[in-house]
Amino acid sequence: MAVRRPAQKPAPQGADERLLVEAAQGDPAKFDALYELHFDRIYFFLVSRVRDRATAEDLTSEVFHKALANLPNYEWRGAPFAAWLFRIASNAIVDHYKRSNREQQVDDLEHPLAQPDLSSKDLNFIERHVHFFRLVDQLPEIQRRVVCERFVEERSIREIAQRLSKTEGAIKQLQFRALQTLRAQIGDRHV
Amino acid sequence: MSKRSPAEQLDQAISALFSTSQQLPEPSSNRSIAALVSLVRPLRAMPRPEFKASLKSDLQRRTTMNEATAPAPESSRATQFRRPNFPNIAPYFLVKGAPQFIDFLVSAFEGTERIRVPRPDGSIMHAEVAIGNSVIELGDANEQYPSRPMSTHLYVPDADATYARALEAGATPVYAPTDEHPSGDRWGEAKDPFGNTWYIATRKSAVSAPEGFLTVQPYMHLRNAHDMIPFIEAALGAHATGVHKSPDGIVRHATIEIAGATFEIDEAQGESQPTQSYLHVYVPDTDAVYAQALAAGAKSVQPPYTAPYGDRAAGITDPFGNTWFLATYLGEARP
Repeated sequence: MAVRRPAQKPAPQGADERLLVEAAQGDPAKFDALYELHFDRIYFFLVSRVRDRATAEDLTSEVFHKALANLPNYEWRGAPFAAWLFRIASNAIVDHYKRSNREQQVDDLEHPLAQPDLSSKDLNFIERHVHFFRLVDQLPEIQRRVVCERFVEERSIREIAQRLSKTEGAIKQLQFRALQTLRAQIGDRHV
Repeated sequence: MSKRSPAEQLDQAISALFSTSQQLPEPSSNRSIAALVSLVRPLRAMPRPEFKASLKSDLQRRTTMNEATAPAPESSRATQFRRPNFPNIAPYFLVKGAPQFIDFLVSAFEGTERIRVPRPDGSIMHAEVAIGNSVIELGDANEQYPSRPMSTHLYVPDADATYARALEAGATPVYAPTDEHPSGDRWGEAKDPFGNTWYIATRKSAVSAPEGFLTVQPYMHLRNAHDMIPFIEAALGAHATGVHKSPDGIVRHATIEIAGATFEIDEAQGESQPTQSYLHVYVPDTDAVYAQALAAGAKSVQPPYTAPYGDRAAGITDPFGNTWFLATYLGEARP
């Protein structure tokens, strides 16, 4: 029987988020809730800029470790908590390129998308992807697994078939159904 | 007109996309297939679930250890380089069936699971179980790091009770705790369902286990154990604190200290055949110790690197086949 994961709640706004931040400031163990809420957007923000999974993972790790360490100094000023995380992430990108001595790439940071003060268009772009990732999470477990193996791990159909003990034809069908479901859920829109 | 099924057509388009760099190949003439192919780019931007879980566990570890916001004051040089609430030396078990091994450790030795980082297939990439004042690390074995039966010395308050629990949890008895053991401690031995040997002891003499000893002490049975002592002193800056040799020079038992934590060795013989262990050891300077170890005859498994969880880490294999994961805690996620 297919297992469906519970849908993740949308990011809380205003007062709710402030409560989460204050709870984590009082008890760092409660940082988990902020991590779950913001992991996808920070990861996507980073991977869409550095275009390399390993680097995006390193930087995502750096961002959340820094956020956790600096949480006691965070002051709530009404802006979404994500804005603070995006600022840390932007600094992490700059530091990364400085470390890599990729001067040309540092110039690329002049692009508005690389700036911490993201436009509403940029934020919409990120949020559409976060929403899409959550739709993937809600696929039936076997379809979600095939999607992850195929597109995230970039495994061949043959490899996935072996790992999941299914035929290659079955894996292609699962892949097809998963993408059909996702397409139906987002309609004609671009992600 | 294509006779291929839509699923086949889709996969062919996806495969073509994977084989090019970034741009879409020729747009599919089939609009519905093209609409599905357009999802490939955002799908490839998804995070790896394994990474998300691993980072979450790492952050949890930092918070439970109170590292992130209020680092515990480190009072001595011996603890500055190790992760707080983590012993200097921990055995690292790689087994087939890590989830079951965790269950065994919890049932048999009253262990407390404190971290579990699963892989998407349900196997365990890394886990930690606290026992007494120590930590056991473990994961599912793989091709790079195959399963190896290891021996471990446990100092517990009541060897008989622990031994009984171990048998109840599935261990095979070797011998029940006795006061007749040459160490002078009450000492028993059992083998777990994964092939590991456990020496279960309660301290009775002041010399056998001074206060401050770890509950969990790795125990190596080595061929030509006497050669380990000069090697480990040269390679890891260790020193032997108590060496008992037979008149013909065979090491009957030795305790080796590295930066305040200890492990034990003896000459492999009889039932105690040579073991090849995995150990995780915190050292003051991973890069220096790694270089020193290679100069002393160790082989590299992993050159030093800064791990995302905030350690400077490296791996070596000693001439006896033991694998040492070296680490220096950096105190923050990145240098």
